[in-house]
Amino acid sequence: MKRRLLSLSAATLAGALALSGCSKGSNSGSTSADGVTTIKFVAADYGSNGQNPTQAYWQGVISAFEQQNPKIKVDLQVINWNDIDTQVKTMVQNGNQPDILQTGGYADFAKNGQLYPAQDVLSAGTTGDFLPAMAHAGEQEGTQYGIPFISSARMFLINNELFKKAGLDPANPPKTWADITADATALKKAGVEIPLGVPLGKEEAQGESFIWMLENHGGYQDDKGKYVINSQANIDTFTQLKSWVDAGLTEQSPASVNRTDLAKDFASGKVGMLNGIPTQLNDVKNMDVTWTSMPGKDGASKATLGVADWVMAFKKGGHKEQIKAFLDFAYSKDNTVKFDKEYSLLPVTQSALTALQADPDQKALTPFLQILPTAVFYPLSDPTWPAVSAQVKTQIGSAATDPKKTLDALQQAAQQAGE
Amino acid sequence: MTGATAKGIPAVSSRSTTDVRPGAPSRPPAPKAGRPAGRRSLFSRLGALPWLAPAVVLILGVVVWPVVEMVSTSLRRIDTTGTDHGPAGLVKYHKLFSDPRLPGVLTWTAVWTIAVVGLTMLISLALAQLFNQNFPGRRLTRWALIAPWAASVLMTAIGFRWMLDQVAGVFNRLLLDLGLIDHSRAWLGDAAHARPWLVLVAVFVSLPFTTYTLLAGLQTVPGEVYEAARVDGATPWQTYRKVTLPLLRPAFLVGLVINLINVFNSFPVIWGMTQGGPNADTATTTVLMYMLRGYDVAESAAMSVVNFAIVILMVVVFLKVSRWNGEES
Repeated sequence: MKRRLLSLSAATLAGALALSGCSKGSNSGSTSADGVTTIKFVAADYGSNGQNPTQAYWQGVISAFEQQNPKIKVDLQVINWNDIDTQVKTMVQNGNQPDILQTGGYADFAKNGQLYPAQDVLSAGTTGDFLPAMAHAGEQEGTQYGIPFISSARMFLINNELFKKAGLDPANPPKTWADITADATALKKAGVEIPLGVPLGKEEAQGESFIWMLENHGGYQDDKGKYVINSQANIDTFTQLKSWVDAGLTEQSPASVNRTDLAKDFASGKVGMLNGIPTQLNDVKNMDVTWTSMPGKDGASKATLGVADWVMAFKKGGHKEQIKAFLDFAYSKDNTVKFDKEYSLLPVTQSALTALQADPDQKALTPFLQILPTAVFYPLSDPTWPAVSAQVKTQIGSAATDPKKTLDALQQAAQQAGE
Repeated sequence: MTGATAKGIPAVSSRSTTDVRPGAPSRPPAPKAGRPAGRRSLFSRLGALPWLAPAVVLILGVVVWPVVEMVSTSLRRIDTTGTDHGPAGLVKYHKLFSDPRLPGVLTWTAVWTIAVVGLTMLISLALAQLFNQNFPGRRLTRWALIAPWAASVLMTAIGFRWMLDQVAGVFNRLLLDLGLIDHSRAWLGDAAHARPWLVLVAVFVSLPFTTYTLLAGLQTVPGEVYEAARVDGATPWQTYRKVTLPLLRPAFLVGLVINLINVFNSFPVIWGMTQGGPNADTATTTVLMYMLRGYDVAESAAMSVVNFAIVILMVVVFLKVSRWNGEES
């Protein structure tokens, strides 16, 4: 019986261990044979719920590229956002880096010296085309490693119908936090279920928090790149959010509400106002809404949050020339414009920006394209940011209940992230 | 997990219960294949080894090797890209134990394990008693009890999550229509509300296995002892306390220990309903380990090592308390 018991607990243990991710994959990048070189390309999937898969877009680009370059084959692997970080981590742990990776961050790879500088794998024409703010966000200690791929920016979004119902003028949107309090109170009185949406659930809490911090001239880091998560400005920001939550002006328990769910609630007319993103354009096509600049603590905020995804080239395979040929092809104007349109994302190159601004079908994107050059980014070049961001995502929601304690804990975690 | 353990159970409990003699301490019979009498040649002294070898290899490969790998991972410095930057000593343990969330998580893990296992055992005792009676439709109700077991636990958890959803949930609709609440609530939005629901769902999915284990135990209790009790004039409550419960002890203990380990390690109920959130307020140590994995593999491994130690401790304490190894020591 004892032995049976032991092996039972052993089996349970083995199950628990499997969860901790001890498994290792094994797919190797291939090198030249018969003069044909294969490069491995791993990309993220921007489609949602199996719709509109990014696989199809890349396959189109790759087959056109391979026709022009018969000596190069591109081995494509598209991975969804939930799994891409873990899978790439496993590839790196096993020494199977892809040649090209398209994902959310580059800084930790760059810090380890695993990446080619951008200028080594792009022609001068391509590097010169990037929007300066984007190219700059890809720099670590003066060298650009991160190659911007797409971007996105946030604007304040208002449901005009609900505003009118509450006796408010949507043409005069809230500009200060005091305005938000007044308008949200009016909306609540008019029976709006969620006057102000504050999705601090883990899906995108690091972005939602950052927007509110910026509105009070706070942020994750100071000018010198030191973490200041528990600065007075940030504590004040969350104290304000807490007072809105306590007054019932937001959804109940923001810490467990994700951005996507709240966007759906907005689309079904239950939310008065929130920080919106361009991907919502499609949802609100038939609604009466206003996109406006972010309110600030004391006046309309000039800054907004900019988000970018990145392409990076790994040194390990030694396929510099082939990578360069493929990236120059992939960054041609037609390809980038097509991708941005397909997923309602914002461009990273001047040529695509000009093309989209001139496109009458993309009129809805105009306000976003205008604010894009002034957008503020996460501390993307800091190699500890990926770890800090992951912790902010799960923990910062509690700051709307207990600002000081939560922000102190995150500051401590951020300082330890370098260890 | 339950599927694998379940297969062993009826066999275990029936074998041990048939061995029960009134008055004797109930314990399983010693293995028949004991030490052979007398000395033999070297080859035959290898005895059962060749036959045990596959199982030993399996345990070495599936249990021991991952444990070694886990401990060594917890002592290294591995960054978010998966790159190993050399040995870290006990830095990750230090980081783990200075995490302000850990005390809350440990407390909740203890409350969670005790509450879920306690309620499960109590309710299962009653259910097993009920299903041991003869009544019309017994076969049907016995089958119905299997449902929460047959359904994937993750599926059940996700189902409950949506039933309790603030906007789309039927539970809010029900309470609103009954006039019990005036606006819909986020039942899983904060720890105080989410925890009782998590316990409820965990009990719900643990009931079938435990009930069947106890039921199997009940069915091996010979009818004569009840007859004897009746002849001696015992009340039903006395019969239950003095006859049924002692004879049920082996089956009860098997159910208890398997539930303890299962519930302690339980991941899908909590992950499916709250993902341990908000923050780590509803995370047990197992869920916290998974959350840590997202940004620090080594710290996550350190948490696994602590978990491992707790399980070992639980088993040792259990073996002591239940005196299952009394004869050997």
